[in-house]
Amino acid sequence: MKKIYLCCSAGMSTSMLAKKIKEAADKRGLDFEVEAVSTAAFDEVIQTADVCLLGPQVKYNLEGFQKKAAELNKKVDVIDSMSYGMMNGEKVLDQALSLMEP
Amino acid sequence: MKLYDQLMRFVEHELGPIAGKLGTQRHVVALRDGFLVAMPFIIVGSFILIFANPPFSADTTNAFGRAWLDFVAAHRPTIVMPWTMSMGIMSLFITMGVAYSLAKQYQMDPIGAAALSAMSFLLVAAPEKGWALPLNHFAGTGIFTAILAAYFSVELTRILKKYNITIRMPEQVPPAIAASFALLVPVLAIFLTLYPLSLFVQQNFSMLLPEAVMALFKPLVSASNSLPAILGAILISQLLWFAGIHGANIVVGILSPIFLTNIAANAAAYAAGEPVPNLFTQPFWDFYIFIGGAGATIALVILMCFSKSVHLRSVGRMSFFPGLFQINEPVMFGAPVVLNASLFLPFVLAPAFNAIIAYTAVSTGLIDKAIAVTPWTTPALIGAAWGAGWAIKASVLTAILMVLDIIIYYPFFKVYEHQLLDEESANLAAATT
Repeated sequence: MKKIYLCCSAGMSTSMLAKKIKEAADKRGLDFEVEAVSTAAFDEVIQTADVCLLGPQVKYNLEGFQKKAAELNKKVDVIDSMSYGMMNGEKVLDQALSLMEP
Repeated sequence: MKLYDQLMRFVEHELGPIAGKLGTQRHVVALRDGFLVAMPFIIVGSFILIFANPPFSADTTNAFGRAWLDFVAAHRPTIVMPWTMSMGIMSLFITMGVAYSLAKQYQMDPIGAAALSAMSFLLVAAPEKGWALPLNHFAGTGIFTAILAAYFSVELTRILKKYNITIRMPEQVPPAIAASFALLVPVLAIFLTLYPLSLFVQQNFSMLLPEAVMALFKPLVSASNSLPAILGAILISQLLWFAGIHGANIVVGILSPIFLTNIAANAAAYAAGEPVPNLFTQPFWDFYIFIGGAGATIALVILMCFSKSVHLRSVGRMSFFPGLFQINEPVMFGAPVVLNASLFLPFVLAPAFNAIIAYTAVSTGLIDKAIAVTPWTTPALIGAAWGAGWAIKASVLTAILMVLDIIIYYPFFKVYEHQLLDEESANLAAATT
């Protein structure tokens, strides 16, 4: 099982997207768990995450988060803003998958 | 358009990076996290306060109102107690929350830091009298002291650790045992620094440290209640959001001590039956200015729901329910509003007009000032009334502002819709040929 975390200021708007990504993953037969959290929880969740995606509105955290993730050999990126606005689970899942490739 | 380009360059190259730095700065993050810890206590506590003050006049003939008033009159101290022990001591939660978050970011023991910070705060804010802690500065007047106590105690612990000023154990002592001694020196250091400072202030100015701190922050807090300050905060928040940065997260993070100082003073006045003093509060910001999220976007979302453009209509309908609960990322990034020149003006103007009208309505006493804190995700029409102690007038104001916002957004929305319709029909034509 793979674990994707989505991170925004309060984990509110990303929670809508998390549901969409989960549905997209289920449809493709992928055993993924997708959870939305606040940026305050990043340090904790990155420990167990396979990949972490940031809401575009908190992209200013990217640099700091990438550094922390790199120590654990993990990747963090910002969700494409159009896919985010459209709550496009398929596209964001693609983005997550491409980040998980070694 | 030249001014717009210059403004965008300023936001992208100056304001944005500053906001980004502030938004990730440890002490600012700790401030925001710390307030989140206190929030449930404050929200439920202030809810109870409303129950203790029935929305009926003292000479009401309404049987229900009469019974409620009589019940409260007979049991007032019992009813108010939960408020005192939640919102009434919020500075204690704040100091622990801020210290916890800051210590965690420094990778220090967070629970130890929270306890040390609580002790520091109590030491300077509530010197024991008759074997009881005076609660005067546990609410609004203690907030700035609570924050400073958290910063000071954590930084002091960090510096002591950095320069290796600790009780040293022989190497044979297991690490867990050595760790249990880690906080001894910081506790002593607090006694040796903050306590003399507190005694000095008491002796020379015959006041407690929180009163001195409040005197220092007083100009800032009073200025916050003025219209220019409110409009300034809105402008910064809107410019950042327009550039796709969570502006409110940063602006509100920094404003929250002021919001809580104001609302605590309001709640205390309300509980004492005195006139409520402060205008600028979290319900004012969320439910009059930013109806449906930053930029008062619920108006735009409503217009989009009935748009002829397929794109706008589908994003609008998807954004409606989140918007009801003050969440607007889908419309911000989906419409998009972010970096969309067509929607820039209403995005800034709608909240500004909301602020001016709400400011006038509240400062003239037409609408009651807020006395309760609500979850920011409360639908604006309900949140406005809740904040004002269930005054329906407040919801009416929110409804009027929503209509005004729709009128402000309408012409700009039409221009943008027209652009999209042209594109959509061009795409359709290209697809069929």
